[in-house]
Order: sequence, then structure tokens, then C-alpha cells
Amino acid sequence: MYFATDLLAAWGLNLEYGVAGVLNFGYIACVAVGAYAYGVLTLPSPAVNGNYQHYVLGLHLEPAAAFVIVIVVGCVFGGLVGLVGRHRLRPDYQAIMLLVVAAVALAVSEADTALVNGNPGLTLLPNPLGTTGPTAGNGWVYVGILLAICFAGYFVLRRFSDGPLGRSLRAVRDDSDAALAIGKDVVGLRMLAQVVGGGFGALAGGLLAAFIGAWAPSAWSFSETLSLLTAVIVGGVASNYGVVAGVILVPVVLQQLSQFVPGLNTRPQLAADIGWMVTSALTIFFIWFRPTGIVPDRRPRYGVGRHRRVWSYAPEPANMVVDVPVHPPVSRATSPMNADSGVSQASLDAGAILTATSFALPRRPGVPAPTPSFAGPLLEVSDVVVRFGGVRAVDGVSLQVPAGAVTGLIGPNGAGKSTLVNALTGFLRPESGRISFNGQEISDQPAHRRARAGLVRSFQLSRQFSRLSVIENLLVGRQSHPAESALGIALGLRYWKQAEVENVDRAWELLRAFDLHAKANMTASSLSGGERRMVELMRALMTEPKMLVLDEPLAGLSPAWARRFEEALMQLRSSGIGFFLIEHELGIIERQCQEVVMMARGRVLSVGTMEELRMQPEVQAAYVMG
Amino acid sequence: MSIFVSAVGFGVASGAVIALASLGFTLQFGLTNTLNIAYGSFITLAAFVGYGFVQFGLSPWTTMAIVAAIMGVLSVAYYGGFIRSLIRRSIGFGPLAIATAAALIFIEYTIVLVAGTTTRSYGLTSGTTYHLWDFVWTSTQVAIIVLAAALVTMFQLGLRTTRLGRALRATAANRTLARACGIRVERVSVGAWMISGLLCGVAGVALAMTTQAFTYNLGLTFLIVIIAAAVVGGIGEPLGAVTGGLIIGLVTQVSAAYFNPAYSDVAAFVLLIAALLLRPTGLFGGQARRSNVATA
Repeated sequence: MYFATDLLAAWGLNLEYGVAGVLNFGYIACVAVGAYAYGVLTLPSPAVNGNYQHYVLGLHLEPAAAFVIVIVVGCVFGGLVGLVGRHRLRPDYQAIMLLVVAAVALAVSEADTALVNGNPGLTLLPNPLGTTGPTAGNGWVYVGILLAICFAGYFVLRRFSDGPLGRSLRAVRDDSDAALAIGKDVVGLRMLAQVVGGGFGALAGGLLAAFIGAWAPSAWSFSETLSLLTAVIVGGVASNYGVVAGVILVPVVLQQLSQFVPGLNTRPQLAADIGWMVTSALTIFFIWFRPTGIVPDRRPRYGVGRHRRVWSYAPEPANMVVDVPVHPPVSRATSPMNADSGVSQASLDAGAILTATSFALPRRPGVPAPTPSFAGPLLEVSDVVVRFGGVRAVDGVSLQVPAGAVTGLIGPNGAGKSTLVNALTGFLRPESGRISFNGQEISDQPAHRRARAGLVRSFQLSRQFSRLSVIENLLVGRQSHPAESALGIALGLRYWKQAEVENVDRAWELLRAFDLHAKANMTASSLSGGERRMVELMRALMTEPKMLVLDEPLAGLSPAWARRFEEALMQLRSSGIGFFLIEHELGIIERQCQEVVMMARGRVLSVGTMEELRMQPEVQAAYVMG
Repeated sequence: MSIFVSAVGFGVASGAVIALASLGFTLQFGLTNTLNIAYGSFITLAAFVGYGFVQFGLSPWTTMAIVAAIMGVLSVAYYGGFIRSLIRRSIGFGPLAIATAAALIFIEYTIVLVAGTTTRSYGLTSGTTYHLWDFVWTSTQVAIIVLAAALVTMFQLGLRTTRLGRALRATAANRTLARACGIRVERVSVGAWMISGLLCGVAGVALAMTTQAFTYNLGLTFLIVIIAAAVVGGIGEPLGAVTGGLIIGLVTQVSAAYFNPAYSDVAAFVLLIAALLLRPTGLFGGQARRSNVATA
């Protein structure tokens, strides 16, 4: 009984915290909302019982109908709480906020006697099986129904926590900025998790209240949230099966069963108190020694063994025997130790690595190569100003970046290059100025919209979704995946299988072209710096961008990896993608860029070829003086 | 008018306690970037340890000094043995916050195990009542206000003039840079947690002295008040925490005088939510919004 309701609640919390990374310290409020909603929906008008207790509504609905409304109310409540996320607060502030929201809800429910009868809470809730009072002889029937609900709940939950949608939620959890940069609606995805989590919590609360026949503020203290969190952490963060184990261990054994252990005469609650201490100690133990929990979140493996899951599909085995590059790629073995020889050998075969694997940017069928639908420059920036306090970091910058070419942006440290990138891609809001992309004004669009329009960026310190595998890092890049649409959630696999199969195909092609296919199923956090850079580039390519803004892609790369990166860039130039390359290493700028923009102190100093810029005294001065 | 003035008087008195507690909390946050939810249970612990000494027959002020010392040591032990190790494992913000929440529950139920769930009270007589201008304060309240003012002034002076104070400010501003400048940031952090433990001890005993009665879960509700004060002032900002504490004290007491007293905490929480949404950096700056994401 408690197992079933706790399981539903813990699943909801796991979707929020484990999968989507929303640390909801106030989750128990969703449960309470469900319980109170069940109460006020099923109880008759207060006057019927002679105003024995006070509450709003009193609709006297059928329990079955009430549960439907309870779920809806929970979803709405979860969504309202999720609105907090719209403010893009730091995660610690967000956690504080959610904690406080629950505290407000608790305080209001205690203080306001007219709403849900204040501190004593609601009693005499109707039993959904028609009899009055708790467990009047049909307890086992109720338990059976609950287990059936859990079973059904699991299949609903899977639609969100697994597959491409779950992958995107996990991406948001691991690095929300990187997710924004490839066009994920971070706020919306988190909100979705909170809406669904709220629904699960409310259902659990409603079922619990219906079973006990009462609900009071004392039933949902902060410690209850912690008990559910412990179930998630001990069982397995983001793992639905793990949560089952966690719920059996923590809320059921430690919290509920411990209440039946006879205490000492003077201390009837001794076992329950110790149960709480063990619960909290377990949380700490697992965070310390095994943060993934008993049953870790298993990521699907692609292209190995039998494909247990449809979305771990891989191309035909014949294809899988990868055409080994004619020239061995510059590998990690040659890069750090004898970088010189690696470079010299690689420079002989400039471009050979990618051509050897007959590199062509894999495209989704039916999606044409990016050709600007509009004659002018792809990206046009006019008079953009970004101010930090009194400093005008970007001070009236105007520039144009065409499609199908590499345009460079150089300038000394503090020139405002990265700030400009942030403003262009929507990570910072400029104070004034216009940005238009592909003929459309995008100045007011949020970052993920700009990425979806085809303006995709990379980061100076490469970012990856560290708990996802390498290939999943690529797969996440797919824009507007049908599995992430309402229809995809409703119809499930049938609806999006084809799209995902194509997605996986493209990812394999890219991985092979970049010679990283052997690492496809490794977690992204295990990669070296150079490999991470490549994964970031591949992920950006998976979004089928019209323009890539690369923020110092060579920073921190060994010479060998830098060469590999440059070769990839050369190959990609012909694909029609526009590149905006921000770099300190002027060699690559000189070799790759037709046009170079020079910035200093927040302003565009000069535009021209690298050769022209080199001749200008003010450019020299800016670089020498900094 | 007199309702208002006396409410303001109460507000200053409770604000003084909140300010001390909030100062300790904000220090932990500012120096080691830890959302230490267990801070609430440290307040409870201070109140209960103090209860033991008061029962033993010590005067509340002696008790306060002893408890402050004990809490200082415990706070350092908690940081050195627990928080620091977790930070070094770089487990991320979420798990760290959950671990401190678990520590809160653990300490809370340890207290329950030792002292039970019964309501406790220091049973102090309210002493003489002072009428200053239109304010009405008990002698205890006056003493606590004076003490809090003295401690805050000492802290602020120390922050400006002593070596540790300068090191604290430097480390809070930029830990890596401070380390590169030869500041022993680990020692500074330990110092910060000690000071925050001392403040927590004083605040816990003062809270127990001014509230009529308390139980083992005194800390959790008070924690949210503390956080509210810290956030309203700008989390990580010492002066902000003090100002925020006073504001929260005033708001809760004044709203309690005019509206349903049961809502006094709600008023504080609503203020916190408004502060987070409207001015997340608080009155005294700080960085709440995620800026410079890409240049880090």
C-alpha cells in the first residue's frame, strides 16, 4: 500500500530530479495538493456534517472522477511551481525557491482554517471503494488496484523518462547551457518534467489520503521529501527500476515498517526515530560512495550485441565494419608525447583523414543543404551594445557573416569577442542593437530559438552531457525530434521510430568520419580534451546548422588535435554552412578565413583579409598593447 | 500608531537574532559555495545544548558563551569532516545540498533520540521591561539587541582590518585567485565555518531565550527565515544578511500585528519569493543570475 503510493511519488520525483535535474525540495507539496484536492472534491459540503470541519468546495464527487481531477490539479500545480524556472536563476537559488514554495504551502494550509481545515487537517474522506473508514475489509482489493495503477503509471512514465525525450531531459540536467546551444527548450523541458512529476505526486497523495481517510499538515513535512529523495538516490538516480528498489528499502522498510517495531515503554517511537536516522545516513552514504545508486541508470548501447531496445538500433553489421582510414588518424598516442612528428605527418596528409572516409555531411533525407533563402549575408549585426555595470563590453558592433565561408573574429583578451558571441546566440541580452539571421530579426528570440533557426554555437571550454554516452551526445542534437512532440509522447515508438533510426544512422556516419566510432558507447566524461572538442563539433553538426559560431575551438588543444580540427573545418567549408570562427591562434585564421573581423575594446577596429589587417598600424597597436 | 511602534520594537528584537543566524549562514555560502541546509539543525542543536546548561543551573549568558564555543568546534568538524570531503569529490551542487539536508534530518533525530519530542523552554522570567521612546522591550531583548549589534560591528571591523578578514573577503570574491595570491584558502574556509558556528551558537541560544517554547524541529522553519534574510540582503554578503535579517524581523512582526499572526512566517517567505523574482542579487549585489556562462 505505502509501497505503491510512495513508488508513484518517487517516480515523479525521479523524473524531476534524477532525469531532468530539477532539485525539488518542495516536491511533497505536490503530494499534499493531490491529497487535499481529493478531500475537497469528494467530501460533501461542510454543512452536511454540521460544520464539523471547514474546507472549500465540498463537491461530493465520485472518487474515480475525483482522481482524474487530482492528477490534473497536480500537473497544474507542478507547472505553476515550474514557472520559477522561467527566471533562469542559479540552481542553488532555484532549490531555495522550491523549498520555500513548499514552506509557504505548508504554512498556509496550517494557518488558514477555512481552506482545508488548518492544522487538524481533513478527516472522514470517503473511501474510493464505497465503504467508510480505512481498510474496512477490502484493503487487499485496494492494494491490488494500486499496484495496477503503478503498473499503468510505469508505462506513462516511460514515455517521458526513456527514449529521445528522456535523453533530452538528461542533457538539460547535465549541462543546461550546452542544451540551450543546440536548441533544447531548457525551461520548457524542465517544466514538462515538473508537470508530469506533479501529476504523479498528486495521484500518490490522493490515493494515500483516500486510503487513510484523512490528511493533515503533519503528514507532509520536509522530511517526507527527503525520504523520497533518499529512495531515488539509493535506488538509482534517473533509473525507474532502481527507484522501485529504493522505495522498498527506504520509505517502506525504514519509515513504515519501523513504526511497527515495538519501542521501549518510555520511547514508543524509538524504532521510527532510528529509522529516520538510518534514512539520512543512507542518503549520505550513497552520495559519498555510490552516487549512481543500487541500480544505475543504464544508457542504451548502440550497435553492439543484440539490440534489446529499438532505439539502440545500429546500421547493418556489414556497414559496421568501418572502412578504416587509409592514413592512420592522429591518435591520442601520438599527440601529447611526440606532437611534432604527429603534426608533420598529419600535415603531409592535410585533409586526408576526412576524405579517406569519404566525408560528406550526413543529412536527414528530405532536408536540403543549407542554402540561404535570402540573398544578403546570413548573419547581420548592427550596432549591438552589451553593458556590464559601467563597462561597455560590446560597444556598438556591426558586422556581417556570409554563408558558405569561414569568417574570423580576432582581438586581444577583453576585446568583447566572447561577449559578442553570447549576445549573438542569445545567452546575453544586448542593451540595444539588431541581430538578424537568415533575413529574420532574432534580437528578441531566446537562445534555443536561435539555435533552432540554425545559429548554433560552441563554447570556449567544451561542454558535454557528461552522463550520456558519446553517441547520445550526438543524438541529442537532432532538432524537433518527433519523440519530443505531444504526438510523439502520445503515440510512442511507432510515431518516432523512423526518425530515430535515421538519427542514429547520421550519428554513426559522423562518428566514423571523425574516427571516433570506437568510443560511441563510452560516457562523454571519459573523453580527452581533443575528443570532447570533436564531440561538441559533431553535436553541433547534428543540429543541421546554417551557421556555426565557434568560440576559440583550438583553446587548450594539442597541436595534433588542432590540426584535426582544422581539417574537419576545411572539409565542412564546402557544405554550405557559414562559420564564424573566434580564435587567438592566428595561423588557422590566416589559412581558413576569407574575411577577418578585428575587435578591440568592444568595437570593431577593422575588417579585411588577415594580410590586410596585419598591415594596419592600429591593429598592430591593439594586439601589442592589448 | 502604538501598535505599529511596538511591532517595530519586536521586529528589531527578532531581527537581531535572525541577523546573527543569517550572517553565519551567508558566510558558509559565500566562502565555500555550500547551501548548508543542516544549518537549521545546528540552530536547534545550540538551543538544546543551551537548554542542558540552563537546566544545570548556569546563567543564560554564560550558557550562550559556552554553546557558541561548542558550536564553533562542531561547525569546523562538520566542515572539515563532511562538507570539504564532499566538495572535493566534486559531486555537484544538487547532491551536496541533499547531503546537507540529510545531515539536517540526522542531527534532528539525534536530538530527538537524546532529548525526546517534548516541548522545552528555558523558563526565564521576562525581567524588567524597558520603555525606550515608544518601544517596549524586555531586558533580555535589549541585551540581545545590544549583543547582536556589538557582534555585527566587531565582525564588520574584523572584515576590514584584520588579516583573516581581508583573506575572507578575497576568498569569497574569487577562490582561485585568492589561492594564487598565496592566501591559504583552506584555513580561511575553516575560519569562516568557525565564525559561522560561533554565530550559530549565539543565535540558537538567543532564539531559545526569546521564544516561549521550542521542539526538535525549531531549526527547519527558522532556517527558511534565515535563508529569506540572506537572500533579501544578497546571499554571500555579510552586510546584506544583517540588513535582510532586520527587514525580515520587521516584516514578520509588523504583519503579525496587523494580520493573522499565523501568517507572520508566510509574510517572510513571500518577501523571499518576491526578492528572488524581482531582484535575485539582493539588496547588496551578489550574482544570482547565471551570467558569463560561456566565458567562465
